[in-house]
Amino acid sequence: MTEVREKGYHHWDGQLEDRRQVFWPITRTGIKLAFERRHFKLLFSMSFLPALAYGGAIYISERLEDFKFIAQGSEKSFQINPAFFKSYLTMEFIYFIILLLLSLGGAGLIADDFRHKAIQLYFARPIRKLDYLLGKAGVVMFFVGLLTIVPGIILVVLKLLFSGSFKFFLNYPWLILSIIFYSLFLMIFFTAFVLLASSLSKNRNYVIAIIFGLYYLSEIIRGILYTIFRSPYSALFSFRANLQQVGAGFFLTNKPYGLPWYLSFIVICLFCLFAYYVVNRKVRGVEVIK
Amino acid sequence: MSIELQNIHFSYGRVKALKGISLSIDKGATGLLGPNGAGKSTLLKIMLGFLTPDQGDGQVLGYNLRTEQQFIRRQIGYMPEDECFIPGMDAVSFTALMGELSGMPRQEAMKRAHEVLFYVGLGESRYRLTDTYSSGMKQRLKLAQALVHDPKLLFLDEPTSYLDPTGRQEILELIGEIASAKDIRVLICSHILADIEAICQQVVIINRGEVAAVGRIEDLRMVNYELYELKIKGELELLRKELEAAGCRVEENEERVVKVYTPPEFDHRQIFKAAARNRIQVRQFVRSQTSLEDLFARVVGVD
Repeated sequence: MTEVREKGYHHWDGQLEDRRQVFWPITRTGIKLAFERRHFKLLFSMSFLPALAYGGAIYISERLEDFKFIAQGSEKSFQINPAFFKSYLTMEFIYFIILLLLSLGGAGLIADDFRHKAIQLYFARPIRKLDYLLGKAGVVMFFVGLLTIVPGIILVVLKLLFSGSFKFFLNYPWLILSIIFYSLFLMIFFTAFVLLASSLSKNRNYVIAIIFGLYYLSEIIRGILYTIFRSPYSALFSFRANLQQVGAGFFLTNKPYGLPWYLSFIVICLFCLFAYYVVNRKVRGVEVIK
Repeated sequence: MSIELQNIHFSYGRVKALKGISLSIDKGATGLLGPNGAGKSTLLKIMLGFLTPDQGDGQVLGYNLRTEQQFIRRQIGYMPEDECFIPGMDAVSFTALMGELSGMPRQEAMKRAHEVLFYVGLGESRYRLTDTYSSGMKQRLKLAQALVHDPKLLFLDEPTSYLDPTGRQEILELIGEIASAKDIRVLICSHILADIEAICQQVVIINRGEVAAVGRIEDLRMVNYELYELKIKGELELLRKELEAAGCRVEENEERVVKVYTPPEFDHRQIFKAAARNRIQVRQFVRSQTSLEDLFARVVGVD
């Protein structure tokens, strides 16, 4: 690398590249900026506690004799089957920690660009709107993926390692695919959810309020509708209930709200399409020059 | 030619923003002027490839306006008017990111970011968060990000706004150097006509979606009118009426200097004859240098 020249303007003698993954610098920057936010690293490390607990549960399940004093009366909790993995990925706490993490690290993804008018800096470059949105989506997907797909697969590997045989894998050969596809589903949903919220305001504090407000408001609506009508279909109004329903569908377990899981899948897909439509309308390259 | 437009038309619904803009811009610095709503922004949007003209065609740096918009943006450096940055980033990372987005390899972009930040005078503070920069520093940062990928054409939108007189002078010198010695074409949009006059050799004036004037500033001054400054004793109104009837524009400033803008082919002796007819003494008569402000006012038709 040649030394940096201090004085005067010099032409750059390199060649501009036709990059395929134009979104990557945006994603990388977004991830880096998230880690630089106050308390983010602490929260990020704490978000792996459930995965550690589940890893511990897998270890104990293979050594039940040694851990009788812990497992006494709750042997069922230490049965490792698809429901065990589903319970990790559909746990309320996981959804909450994802929302918390994304509130700190993802709320400003588009909102900050609106607020500080950075959007025009991006679009004055040879990038398309899709590249910009993919770059921002990559940040959310990275964090959601780290809390879903990565621990999910590591837990399966731990199970195989601790049991010392492939019996579990042969019993449930589809489990890995369920983990991957449900994690991808969660990644897409949370990406749509956070980017939608982030595009609705220029103020990241309002975005955080929108993220939590929207999520828990849907739960409150479900509760009210269920109280009035006593209908299982009220679950379709709740993000959490729909995610858990789809999770049960992917892992072939009992549906928690007694509805066909594909209805929830359709609701979430429609929401993602709506979010894409709104974000696509909000982010406009032509606004570069006012 | 760096920019060549032929008969560009563009409408926002029923509102016609551009009505047959044709122009050619080559080397050096060019000022883009026009009153608010004249169509400057629409023209810039078309040149950056964000809008496709309804009619007409053109090329920017040899790339077609309609089909090669991405290539155009790769070769252009754009410095927006607004104060814009990415919060939480230091200047060098920010500038390097902009270079990367333009297609520079990551390491090269970082190295180049250091260089351009030194060039615009932010070398010492390049590791500071951009959030903490003053308005003047942000202005320089915007210039740095526009230069990082070594563009062939620079679009500068109000480059000296938010700057104190010293900062303004420094930025103007930088832009002047880039335009004259560095083989980079510069297109400047500014309301500060003195800035345009200081840097640009040529100017494009747009009014009501049409090109009202285009060419070298010197030539336009000659073509459009001449200016005479007079000091008189007597009633100005009588002289004013007679000269205005002959197609001149007459203004009087606070120091009671009368400025007479005469149309082309106007014989300046007619001023003396008109004064004599109205019994007015002409105590001083100077052929004056017209400013860009005068030219702009004349072409656009405002005072």
